[in-house]
Amino acid sequence: MFQTPSLTPSLLPAGAFLVPLLGGILVLAVERRGGRACQGVSLLASASLAAAGFLMAFRTVQGRVLVAWGNELRVDGLSALLVLVIGSIGFLTTLYSFRYMGRGELLERVGVGKAEKRLAIFYFLLLWFLGTMAWAAVTNNIIMLFVAVEATTLTSGLLVAFFWDRRALEAGYKYLMLLTIGITFALFGCVLIYAAGAEAGGLAGREALLISEVRGVAGLIPRRTALLAVAFLVIGFGTKAGLAPFHPWLPDAHAEAPTPVSVLLSGVMIKVAMYALARTVSVFFPFIPQLTVFIVALGAFTMVLGVVLALVQDDLKRLLAYSSVSQMGYVLAGLGLGTYLGYYGGLFHLLNHAIFKALLFMSVGAIVYATGVRKVSELGGLARRMPITGACFLVGGLAIAGFPPFNGFMSKLTVYLALAGSGMWWAVGVAVFTSILTMVALIRPAYRVFWAAPSGDATRFQAVREVPATVWGPMVILAAMCLLLGVVPQVAFGLLSRAAAVLAVVGGG
Amino acid sequence: MSEIDLPVELIRTLSMTMVITSVVAVEVRRLRLSAAAYAIQALLLVALLLSYAQMNPALYWWAATAFLTKAVLTPWFLFRYIGKTQEMEVEPLIGFGPSVVVAGVLMVLFFRLTHGQIEILAPSAMAREEVFRTNLAVASTIFVLGIYAVLSRRDAVKTVIGLCLLENGVHLSLVSLAPELSETALFGIASEVVVTVFLLLYVIEGVYQVFGTTDTFRLRELQW
Repeated sequence: MFQTPSLTPSLLPAGAFLVPLLGGILVLAVERRGGRACQGVSLLASASLAAAGFLMAFRTVQGRVLVAWGNELRVDGLSALLVLVIGSIGFLTTLYSFRYMGRGELLERVGVGKAEKRLAIFYFLLLWFLGTMAWAAVTNNIIMLFVAVEATTLTSGLLVAFFWDRRALEAGYKYLMLLTIGITFALFGCVLIYAAGAEAGGLAGREALLISEVRGVAGLIPRRTALLAVAFLVIGFGTKAGLAPFHPWLPDAHAEAPTPVSVLLSGVMIKVAMYALARTVSVFFPFIPQLTVFIVALGAFTMVLGVVLALVQDDLKRLLAYSSVSQMGYVLAGLGLGTYLGYYGGLFHLLNHAIFKALLFMSVGAIVYATGVRKVSELGGLARRMPITGACFLVGGLAIAGFPPFNGFMSKLTVYLALAGSGMWWAVGVAVFTSILTMVALIRPAYRVFWAAPSGDATRFQAVREVPATVWGPMVILAAMCLLLGVVPQVAFGLLSRAAAVLAVVGGG
Repeated sequence: MSEIDLPVELIRTLSMTMVITSVVAVEVRRLRLSAAAYAIQALLLVALLLSYAQMNPALYWWAATAFLTKAVLTPWFLFRYIGKTQEMEVEPLIGFGPSVVVAGVLMVLFFRLTHGQIEILAPSAMAREEVFRTNLAVASTIFVLGIYAVLSRRDAVKTVIGLCLLENGVHLSLVSLAPELSETALFGIASEVVVTVFLLLYVIEGVYQVFGTTDTFRLRELQW
């Protein structure tokens, strides 16, 4: 379908992750100049990352593959898609976080250190979080992929525990512990692929590290070793992606982290983990067809478990977190099919979920910012006071539930078609059923929080006002994206088709 | 590979002693002693890496990295944070006696399992030959003991020690499985573990200050 892409040396791959990392160090350096300086640097760095993402997307759609450092860094359509997601959501989140984290009360709760210093550390960690995720997206070295993904856990660990109270500390401990143990399995998987690739494919040591080279020899790797490697990688990267049954860390971490961090965890980081899983495991799909059934089944299981647990949540953030688990099941089911349509659907849903999950978390954050309350049962009738937030939450809820004309409908439809095309009608049934439950899980609280009368004292929310512009601005942009991609999904076709082709074509490209 | 004489007996002795230090680290209740057992294991690991290094010069670099991260920094962090929290481990559910028995059984079981079934685990011909075979078996045994510690211990600091053990197991296996791994990669892998340990201990100190204990059973704020 595509010709061999042209390898183009470029500064973009290295720049994409180095700029946020340097930006983070700069934030610490300007800490003494106050919060504004830190915020300014962060905005600039995240904007650069977003710009890099757009540039990469533009170049790869033209058929180029950007390389740097002797093929150690390699940006094809798939990597460009990820960097675009990381950069744009990262930029919007940074903007969103200014008023959100700037509130005195939020930082005073924290016992350790002065408020300004904590703010600088927050942005340092945030930029390094973005930078390490970008690194994971651009590296072609299978061991460095592991190192980068683990680095994202380390940079976000303190961000999860940032509020330093009982809940945050518990979440932080579990997060660091479970993810580190999980990722160790992924290390073993990466090493197995590397060693087996070197042995079976006759690749020299250094070449065997490069994923692009391993793709070519994947068929020569003995089956049992391949299956073992896949199992370890699913456990390892799957834990980080939030797949069941390795998901328990996710609701705690996503709910207890400060909202900007939750946006990045649910909106971006689990996608990076899914990307790592797709890159490493898909090399084997053409040679071990039974693998696809297993992975689609895992996706189906994750879909259902996630949404069922979401249905019983009262805490808005936990609800969204469980819904993330469920939606990752869709992505996995799409990617696990191994067909072009499956890859396209999975990646499209990955993109869409990043957008509407970020939107939903930001909306919930706005509710918490304005009311101080996170539980559905304690809220009500907010639509009059917070019309923009209400509209944004509704758009997010409709998008995730798969209503036309929003983007969720388009990507879910693609996944259904891909599943049906491969004959997995049982999976289509599960997916549609999950969609219906998702609808209930999201729309019901949306109605309750915004339009139903509040239980208890009705005057409690009279002083509530809409959130400031830098808080609702990113939300509105994301909501607009939901509509755009739903009405004109062709906009994303160029990049998504390149990305899907990367996974679907074996032995080159 | 066959031209170079690896000190096989030395390697065997070091490997077996490493397994014993793992059991000690898991079982001993006094946390400082447990950390000390880990430190000794780290030194044994460095010695092991040096023994293999004749065959692969990159291992000299790795031995140095391992020495810094595992034998110096990690025990330092452990001792420091044990001092800030509590000296004696929070009692696990399994008593001392039964726990040692379970650890012993796991040890023997996994050693024999990996030594016997090496074909699945080891993709390269070299890894299936002796010394490397033992190396993989020992590595997986230490890994399993580490997992056992994480799953069976209530004390948060003890779980961190368990994590260090399982990481040692994985890193040791790299000697057999990935002999041509670059220095950058090895450095990246080793340094990440020590950063993880530091972050975990830092959070656990926070847990101790806020909860008053390092007992993970008390971490029940977040349920469904």
